[in-house]
Amino acid sequence: MSSPILEARGLSRHYPGGVRALEGVDLRLGRGEFVAVIGRSGSGKSTLLNIVGGLDAPSEGSVAVNGTLLDFSNRRALVSFRREMVGFVFQQFNLIPSLTARENVEYPLLFNYRPPAERQEKANALLAMVGLGDRASHYPGQLSGGEQQRVAIARALVADSPLILADEPTGNLDSATSEGIFSLLQRLNRERGVTLLVVTHERELASYADRTIEMRDGRVVA
Amino acid sequence: MNSRLIEFFQLAVRQLSRRRFRVILTVAGIAIGVAALVGTVALGEGIRTQAVEAIRTQSDLTLIEALPGVEGNVLQLVTPTRATAAGSLPGVASSAPVVRGTFATKGQTYVQVVGVPADGLDGVLRPTYLRGSGFSPGSDQVVLGAALGEKLQRYEGVRIGDPLVLVRRSYDAQGRPIDEETTVLPVGVMEERGDAYDQVLLMDLDLAVRLGEGDGGYSGILIRAEGPDRVFSVAEGVRGIGLSPRGSFEQIEAVNRMMDMVVIFLGIFAGLSLLVGGLMIASTMITSVYERTREIGIAMAVGASEGDVMEMILAECAVLGVIGGACGDLLGVCFAMVLNILGGPFLASRFGDAFLGLLDTEIALVTWPLLAAGLLLAVGLSLLAGLYPAWKASHLNPVEAIRSGR
Ligand SMILES: Nc1ncnc2c1ncn2[C@@H]1O[C@H](COP(=O)(O)OP(=O)(O)OP(=O)(O)O)[C@@H](O)[C@H]1O
Ligand SMILES: [Mg+2]
Repeated sequence: MSSPILEARGLSRHYPGGVRALEGVDLRLGRGEFVAVIGRSGSGKSTLLNIVGGLDAPSEGSVAVNGTLLDFSNRRALVSFRREMVGFVFQQFNLIPSLTARENVEYPLLFNYRPPAERQEKANALLAMVGLGDRASHYPGQLSGGEQQRVAIARALVADSPLILADEPTGNLDSATSEGIFSLLQRLNRERGVTLLVVTHERELASYADRTIEMRDGRVVA
Repeated sequence: MNSRLIEFFQLAVRQLSRRRFRVILTVAGIAIGVAALVGTVALGEGIRTQAVEAIRTQSDLTLIEALPGVEGNVLQLVTPTRATAAGSLPGVASSAPVVRGTFATKGQTYVQVVGVPADGLDGVLRPTYLRGSGFSPGSDQVVLGAALGEKLQRYEGVRIGDPLVLVRRSYDAQGRPIDEETTVLPVGVMEERGDAYDQVLLMDLDLAVRLGEGDGGYSGILIRAEGPDRVFSVAEGVRGIGLSPRGSFEQIEAVNRMMDMVVIFLGIFAGLSLLVGGLMIASTMITSVYERTREIGIAMAVGASEGDVMEMILAECAVLGVIGGACGDLLGVCFAMVLNILGGPFLASRFGDAFLGLLDTEIALVTWPLLAAGLLLAVGLSLLAGLYPAWKASHLNPVEAIRSGR
C-alpha cells in the first residue's frame, strides 16, 4: 500500500464521568480506499469519524493526514483542514433548509472564497453526477430522504477534498435507497479516487467497501 | 465591503425570509422605536425652527450691544481699546460706542438716555422713523423711541420740534441733590422695534458726555453684524474680548437651550422604546441560533470558521436593523405628516390667533440627517443586540450541535 492519506495512532476519547468512547484506536487509510466502519450503537464509530475529521479532539493519540500531524489545539488549522481536506456526510438533516439543492452544494465553497460563477458551475456538475441535475433549484423540504443524502454527498465533493467521511449516510433510508447511496459512493470512489470512511449499521452495505473495520466498546476489534 | 460579506447578507435575507412572521414582529419593534425617535425629534426641531424664525422676523437679530463684562471677579470696562477691538471683529458690519444715563422730565417721567454718535445712529442702529428724522452731529437734537414718544406726547404734550427740558439729578459731597436742567430738541420718533430702544431717548454721544454721562468711559458698544448667520460668532468674539454681548440673539440661544432639553428628554423616552426593539432582536436571534444549532454545526463541519459564523449571524441582525430602521423612518415621516396636517389647525383652534402661523408651516421637521441617524441607530442597536447570539453561535461545539435534534 502507498503512503496512507490518513493515519491515526492510539486515539482515545474520554468523557467526564469515566465514559471511554474511544480507547487506543489505530487507523490507516490508503489513498483511494473505501473503508466501512461497523459496530453496535455506542461503540465509538461517530466519535472516531469526528476526530479524524477535525471536529472533535482526542484525549490521547494523533492524527496525520497526508503525513502532516493535525494540531488539535489550533482552531485555525482545524478550520482550514475541514475546508480543504474533508467532506462530511451526516445521518440526516444534512442540508440548510433555506437554501436550494444547488446552494447547499455550493455552501462549503462560500468559506473557501471561491467566486460565485465557479461555484455554481461546479455545484451543477456535481448535482448532475449524483442524478439530481433537474432538482437544483428545489429546497431540501421538496426532496426525498435519499435525494437529500445525494445532495449532501455532492456537497462533500464540492471542495475537491480527498477524504470523505460519512456517518450512517443511510441510517434513515429504506434498503433499496440505501443500496443506491452505497453504489453511488462506490462509483465516486472508483471514478474520482476519493478516499471514503463510511459508518454503517448494516453488514450488507459494508460489502460495497474495500475493507471493513468493526468496533466494540471504543476499540477496533476486526 | 468584500464580496463574501455581500453573500452573507444575501444568505441572511434568505434565512430571515424563512421566519417571516417572527421577523415582521421584530422589525415592527425596532421600527416603532425609530419612528418614536424620529417623530419626537422632528417635532422638537420643528418647534425650535418655528420659534427661532419668529424671533428672527420679529426682532433686530443682527444688533448686538457689548456691555461691560465680568472676568473672574473683575469688571471689564468698555474702554476705547475694547471698542476698537469689537469694531474690528470678523463679521462686524459697523459699530459705535454708547453712553447711557437716566434723566427725568419736568413731569417726572423717567427717561433712559442713550448717547450715540450721529453716524452710529444711522449706520448701526439703522432706525426707521415714524415721524421726523435723526439728529445731526454736535446738535442738541434727540430722537425718541416709539413707546417713549407716545408716552411723552400723551402725558406731557411733547411734540417734534418743541423743546424738551431734561433734568439730571446728581449729589454733592454732603449728599444733597443737585438738579441740572438741559433743553433738548426732539426731531424724530422711531417706529416700534420690539426691543429696549422703544423706551429710550437717543442723543448725540458728545451731548451725552457733555451732560455728564459716561464718566470718561463708554457704557457699551453697539454692533451691527453682517448677517444673521454671523451674529453668534460675533457674540462669541465679544465674549472673547472680555465684554458681555446682549441682543435678541440671546432669545434664540435660550430657545435652543430649552429645545435641547426638550428634545433630549423626549428622545430618552423614544430611545427606551428603541431599547425594547433591541431586546426583541436579541431574543429573536437567540431563539434563531437555538433553533438552528444543527445547521450551525454543519456549517462548521463544512468549513465555516468562528468568525464566519459570527458574521453570518450579525449579517442577519444588520438586515433586521436596516429593515427596522427604514420602516421606522417611513413611519416617523408619516407621523410627522399627520402632525403637520392635523396638528397646526388643532393648535390654532386651541390657542388662538397667535398660532395661526402654524397653519401653513411645518411643526414637525424631518431632516435627512435625522433619518440617517434613525437608520444608523437601528442598525447599530441590532448589531449590538446580535453580539451575544452571534458569539454563542460561533462557540457552539460542532459535534454536539450536529448531534442535537434541532
Ligand atoms: N458528550 C458526551 N458525553 C458523554 N458521553 C458521550 C458523549 N458523546 C458520546 N458519548 C458516549 O461515547 C460513546 C460512543 O459514542 P458514539 O456516538 O461514538 O457511538 P456510535 O458508535 O456512533 O453509536 P451510534 O451507532 O448509536 O451512532 C457512547 O457510549 C456515548 O454514550
Ligand atoms: Mg454514531
